[in-house]
Amino acid sequence: MKKYDENIEKEVSKTLMLLDDMSPLELHQQFRVRLMQRVEREFGEGRKGHFTSHVDFRLAFMGLLLFVNLGSAALTLIDGARQTTATISELLDNQSFDYTNQDLAYYDQAASIPAVTETNQTP
Amino acid sequence: MTSKDELFKSLVAEHQEMVINTCYRFVFNREDAEDLAQDVFVELFRSLDQFREEAKLSTWIYRIAVTKSLDHLRRIKRKKRFSSLKRIIGVTDPTEEIAAPGNDNPADALVGNERAAILQEALDSLPDSQKTAFLLSKQEGYSQQEIADILKTSVSAVESLVHRAKKNLHNKLYTYYTEH
Repeated sequence: MKKYDENIEKEVSKTLMLLDDMSPLELHQQFRVRLMQRVEREFGEGRKGHFTSHVDFRLAFMGLLLFVNLGSAALTLIDGARQTTATISELLDNQSFDYTNQDLAYYDQAASIPAVTETNQTP
Repeated sequence: MTSKDELFKSLVAEHQEMVINTCYRFVFNREDAEDLAQDVFVELFRSLDQFREEAKLSTWIYRIAVTKSLDHLRRIKRKKRFSSLKRIIGVTDPTEEIAAPGNDNPADALVGNERAAILQEALDSLPDSQKTAFLLSKQEGYSQQEIADILKTSVSAVESLVHRAKKNLHNKLYTYYTEH
């Protein structure tokens, strides 16, 4: 029984010795080359892409700002032009109103009087 | 070339061997260790700008190596569980029938080695903290303080973890050899 135990202990220590006997790995000569290729593949494009997308984003944002600025400027101009048109037409209306208004159209008064008298006479 | 690229290249040159060997301790396989080391450095490149000098840069790199290795082991465990489930329900995966690569390369001597497989099985059953502390303590180049920094714990906690890992491993291996 003791011998059996000893044998098992021997097997156990032999197995554990594997870790102590593990010799360090010699580095593969292509390791760094492959690593750099992988980094270039994964991040080279990525970095380029990141940069261009960054630039694209900035350009798009600048474009948007320009569009908003131009839009608001155009709106202000159109509104201003509409107001001007309105003012002119208002002026013209007022002017024509001044001369064609019934209240002031004293020269038509003669024609309108009989109508008023007519209406007054009806009841 | 930017200053980031230059820093990255110097970090790779300085730490590549340590990173590969750390991963190798966990996965027992050269190819996987190299792939993991690449993942570590790619991750390093990605997050180099975010590094805050709360810890040493080397500690940070080795922590990434440990995390990636543990993730890899977890993936393998999941895959194993899934393939055994497939075997139970009678679905076979043709990739499983492809023969494992031979161990012509002395560095791959552990691949296909039965004793190594038994050891790896026993290591896999340990909690991550015990496994990490134990494996790093077995690797040249890591001081107790550095292991403590990687695990974000104290030196005494590392000593305790290594002690418990040794005891657990011994028990598991002893049980295995008693049964087989």
